[in-house]
Amino acid sequence: MIAVIALAIGVAAGVFLEPSVPLGLQPYLPIAVVAALDAVFGALRAKLDGIFDDKQFVVSFVSNVLVAALIVYLGDKLGVGGQLSTGVVVVLGVRIFGNVAAIRRHLFRA
Amino acid sequence: MTSPRRDDLLGELFRNPLDPGYAAAAARRGDAPPPRSGRWLTVVAMLAIGFLLAVAYHQVVQAAPGTSKARDDLVADVRARQKTADDLQRRAAELRAQVDQARDDALADGDSAARLRDLAAGTGTGKVTGDGVAVRIADAPPQVDPVTGRTQDENLGVVLDRDLQDIANGLWQSGAEAVAVNGQRLTATGTIRAAGGVILVDFRPVTSPYEVTAIGPPDLADRFNASATAKRFKRYVDEYRMQFGVKKRANLALAGAAEPPLKYARTPAPTPSSTPSGGPTR
Repeated sequence: MIAVIALAIGVAAGVFLEPSVPLGLQPYLPIAVVAALDAVFGALRAKLDGIFDDKQFVVSFVSNVLVAALIVYLGDKLGVGGQLSTGVVVVLGVRIFGNVAAIRRHLFRA
Repeated sequence: MTSPRRDDLLGELFRNPLDPGYAAAAARRGDAPPPRSGRWLTVVAMLAIGFLLAVAYHQVVQAAPGTSKARDDLVADVRARQKTADDLQRRAAELRAQVDQARDDALADGDSAARLRDLAAGTGTGKVTGDGVAVRIADAPPQVDPVTGRTQDENLGVVLDRDLQDIANGLWQSGAEAVAVNGQRLTATGTIRAAGGVILVDFRPVTSPYEVTAIGPPDLADRFNASATAKRFKRYVDEYRMQFGVKKRANLALAGAAEPPLKYARTPAPTPSSTPSGGPTR
């Protein structure tokens, strides 16, 4: 519950502060969003499975974002940034789908 | 289905999307209740995620209409400036008419007033009425490929600034006393130029179809039709499907051109290292 409130406060802060993203960080934003979504859905599923762990969640979120950013950065330097971004999105997207399916089974028993 | 293999990366990914760390942590914990100390970490992470989502959303919303919004603003700006320019032009014309009236009133001598009017008509700064011709010329319609249905990129029948120059010169040569392109009166210093695919007459854009109107002697249309210029354009009609027509018109009224800004002579500023013979002033 407190996590949902924190999420709402974070969204509100983002909306009201309207921070401008530095140009150098802009390519990483979509990847960071997907990585964050993966961490959130993973945590939600773990919660429903009854095995949620705070430390695991925070570490997975931070490492997801960092690794995704690193891959995109490397890809940019190697000239294959677009393809590597696609790879990151595909892998994390598959995980998000799998976790959402598990959450759905938990909530609707279907 | 084949038996699952341990080194099947994608299969593993699809089968087990949850981070195995959760299960490991739960196994480590055993039946003990989860420690409450890590709660604030989660809160901070969720704050960061919410912030990230909002920022990303904001970024996308901001970026997408940003370009079109800038364009709309520019278009509105251009419209407003055009309107202002038109208003100013109208006001200038009104004031010019007042000045002319006052001048005519001041010149008690009718002869000099008439002479002045003649000169103004000749130079293009005064309004003139009379019979003449209207030369209508327009771009060829774009060629449509009958098979693909697409328009061809190359259109040889587009009217160029040179074409309008030639027509204007041909009309002058045929005895025209006053010429205007799409209502823009030509003067001795008037220009017909192209800038980025748009034809500018005295720096004001004109678009197809172009109508070059001229006032002159009664046989102006015949003389122009017989000229080499008109013959050339008639050939263009056949070859490039350009549209071209010469018509006699009665009671044409050509507005005066904007008075050119007066240029004042000035003594050049003395330069310390001036050549004794005096170089060019500019």
